[in-house]
Amino acid sequence: MRARAAAAAALASFGILALGWQAGAQSIEASKVVGVTNSATGTAGSASSGSAGSPGSGSSASSGGTTAAGGTTGAGGTSTGSTGSTGSSTSGSGSTSSGSQSSASSGLKNGTFTGATEQTRYGLIQVQIVVSGGKITDVQTPQLTGDDMRSDMINSEAAPILRSEVLQAQSANVDTVSGATYTSEGYLASLQAALNSAHA
Amino acid sequence: MTTALRSADRPAQPPRPRTANGLARTLRQRGRRRLLREDFLTVLAWASGAAAVALYLADGGAGQFNNLTTATTSIGIIAGLVGTDLVLVMLLLAARIPLIDGTVGHDRAMEIHGKLGKPALYLILAHMVFLLIGYGLADRLNPIAEGVSMWNSLPDMWIAFISTVLFILVVVTSLVAVRRRYPYEFWYVVHLLTYAAVLTALPHQFSEGQLFAPGQWQRWYWIVFYLVVLAALLRYRIWAPIALTFRHQLSVTRVVSAGDGAVSIELTGLRLEELSGAGGRFFIWRFLAPGLWWHHHPFSLSADPVAGRLRITVRNLGKGSAALTSVRPGTKVAVSGPYGLFGHAARTRPGLVLVGSGIGITPLRAILERAEFEPGEATVILRASTPETLYLRDEIAELCRQRGATMYELVGQRARHGNPWLPRNQTGLALSDYVPNLRASDVYVCGPKKWTDAVLQDAKSAGLSDEQLHHERFDW
Amino acid sequence: MPENQPTGLGARTFLAMGTVVSLSAAFPGVTDPQDDGASGSRRLEAAVRVIEADFAALEERFSLFRAESEASAVAQGVLRLASASAETRAVYADAIEWRRRTHGAFTPERPDGILDLSGIVKARAIAEAGRSLEALGLTDWCLNAGGDVLVSGTPAPSNAAQSAPEEGAPRPWLAGIVDPDDRRTLLAAYPLGGTPGCAARRALATSGSAERGDHIWALGGGRPEFVQVSVAAGDIETADVLATAIVSGGREMLDLATAQWDIDVLAVTDDGGLLATPGFRAPKAA
Repeated sequence: MRARAAAAAALASFGILALGWQAGAQSIEASKVVGVTNSATGTAGSASSGSAGSPGSGSSASSGGTTAAGGTTGAGGTSTGSTGSTGSSTSGSGSTSSGSQSSASSGLKNGTFTGATEQTRYGLIQVQIVVSGGKITDVQTPQLTGDDMRSDMINSEAAPILRSEVLQAQSANVDTVSGATYTSEGYLASLQAALNSAHA
Repeated sequence: MTTALRSADRPAQPPRPRTANGLARTLRQRGRRRLLREDFLTVLAWASGAAAVALYLADGGAGQFNNLTTATTSIGIIAGLVGTDLVLVMLLLAARIPLIDGTVGHDRAMEIHGKLGKPALYLILAHMVFLLIGYGLADRLNPIAEGVSMWNSLPDMWIAFISTVLFILVVVTSLVAVRRRYPYEFWYVVHLLTYAAVLTALPHQFSEGQLFAPGQWQRWYWIVFYLVVLAALLRYRIWAPIALTFRHQLSVTRVVSAGDGAVSIELTGLRLEELSGAGGRFFIWRFLAPGLWWHHHPFSLSADPVAGRLRITVRNLGKGSAALTSVRPGTKVAVSGPYGLFGHAARTRPGLVLVGSGIGITPLRAILERAEFEPGEATVILRASTPETLYLRDEIAELCRQRGATMYELVGQRARHGNPWLPRNQTGLALSDYVPNLRASDVYVCGPKKWTDAVLQDAKSAGLSDEQLHHERFDW
Repeated sequence: MPENQPTGLGARTFLAMGTVVSLSAAFPGVTDPQDDGASGSRRLEAAVRVIEADFAALEERFSLFRAESEASAVAQGVLRLASASAETRAVYADAIEWRRRTHGAFTPERPDGILDLSGIVKARAIAEAGRSLEALGLTDWCLNAGGDVLVSGTPAPSNAAQSAPEEGAPRPWLAGIVDPDDRRTLLAAYPLGGTPGCAARRALATSGSAERGDHIWALGGGRPEFVQVSVAAGDIETADVLATAIVSGGREMLDLATAQWDIDVLAVTDDGGLLATPGFRAPKAA
């Protein structure tokens, strides 16, 4: 290949790849907003373990988040939920959080803390945490609006929720199981059979 | 035996009166434009590969590399996309599109086509292997169980597996080592399976590929790409030969001996003057006679076409060529072409050097007939092991006399030392010794591959650049 | 239970429509002298035979896996929809109506263009079987066909109609929802049935974007936002159709569905996050 062709081809190829990458990065960025729920899940573990009464290790992450929330405007850290957990570690409170494991209870002020509102793909979102006994006992998203305020009108709107917030279940205490059929028919069948025999 | 013929007679049929400077400028511009086109096509080819990856990235593919399962799957998808792109590029290269043919030449196009074969196959195999592993990881199945499950549960997947097998078959039969063992016809028929392989690969791309799904704009890129390839194949591989055949309605008028083991086949037809200037380039011929019609031959013209007359000169090379020596007058001929860069269009310099060996001499004769050059600016070098195989020697000598070209006849056994393309009695000489204005010339070489390479090497060491060198191998 | 009468809960499983159908039925504790445990078992057997026939009838007509089915003939283009049976056309019309109401997120056509009514047919079969069970006089049962659930009553019925008021509302059927990230575990539970007359929902359906990455079934283009969607609704067809529609229609469809239908939704996003309507929230512990 001639040098000019090689250079031009390389330039064009990298240009095209960069464009594709850029376009892809945007769509990934957009989908990351779902991370609100995702990484909040990390915090959720703490909340759940906290509520379960055990001072779970998760409280370290939550302490970071709360410290940020405790700050006047630092609440933004919690607001995204996701940033809550990561932001906490970067804000330095993460370092204290590991150490504050035991002192966490003293480090967290009791009360309800509300983060700044954040724009997400789904509209505005705002996270509120409830700290009690030095532990996060609840994480809520009290405000979630669409750009057109449509979601305000719908009271049954589906909102991001932590895994700890849903009704928990073990196969031992359910009567039946719902799942996408194609995924695990074998699993469903065996679980259902187990349930059947358990109940029979 | 060496003879130098030189004639300063007025050229009998100068193509166009033109000043030497004007010719040089025109040729230089033409050459530059051709190189520009070549670079453009090169960029286009690479860009299409990059686009295949970029379209995947644009769909958020870059976000798939954060865990082993999706990363494996993504690699598989990218391999499939790039593999598909390579296959489509290969089809375009083989579609005999005039733009590609006139820019890089049929030879180079097919050489690139051949070089892409193995990478394309590896990518398609990687596509399959990585996806089986990736999906297997997701399903907690081993790749083989995953393959069985996909075969059973996904529509069109079994067709895709067949496609893979066909691709393997096509590439394996195209490997030089394998190809030698079987007749050309076998390879040719197997190669036609490529179309089946591409077609059988299609359904799973559109029913399962996320980029090909309805509503994806990326889908249109691929649909358009496929349609362009399909249109090119229909237009230039199927329609062009049919149209040309009906336009010229060629039939054999006579077959005459042209020296040791070679014959000149003369044909007549309609509107042949339209093919004027095609001398040196090759056509693909099909003699519509029992036992011959299914075999096609790439032969160059051995005389520039004039109204009502066309001529090729062939030697008993393959099985098919041998049968041609007995082709009867009146036989209808299907034809497509002209193809290749071995013609006037490739000229970049005012000087002209034609070097031919054996049957490779014959296209040079056709080039010489119509080439633009000032008297004294052209040199013809004929090489043969015996005088009997200096095909068309007398005709060429006469043309040289008329056009004012210098002709050398180099006959004898191959030299043991020095330049291997020269006969023994010329040991110690080089191309530049025969051609004083070599640096300012285009060199056309036609003959067996090794010999051709030796001449080209000689020319290169004399300082000629690639754009000045034109060659046609004559050992199909 | 005051008298500590055991509640009979029986379950039977059979295969239909390429999946497992299971019927659990609860019978009030034995109080009737003419009744005994065996009677419950006999009634369950009879009920299973009836609903098995319900499933078989629909499957025969609509299965794409059966080459001789009417649906296969339509899918292959052998039989024109216009000349298909009234029932097939009705199902198709139903599917088209769902497509309209979901703004195209639900569609009876597979991405490859083949007409596939199997999703809606399964829901209809479940609904049909439910009606059969009611006709048989069964009040407390749970029917699960390949993860789509329809219930009636409670798994723990009290033997007397005038149950002790201090017991409160009868216990609902608790349906576990598979965690798409780890199918051996359950992600959540949802109470179905229970309080009669209350807003309690009777049906739960779960739909997923394909397991093999979104590479396979990118419904309607783009990467599915939701890996799995569970919808609880008053009837199984609504639950099933909306679950499918939300998987393919994403967040937009989710909002549309929650706005227009009285349903509860639990959606799992492609990075493991959850979106849920209040019905999926655990009741606040006191």
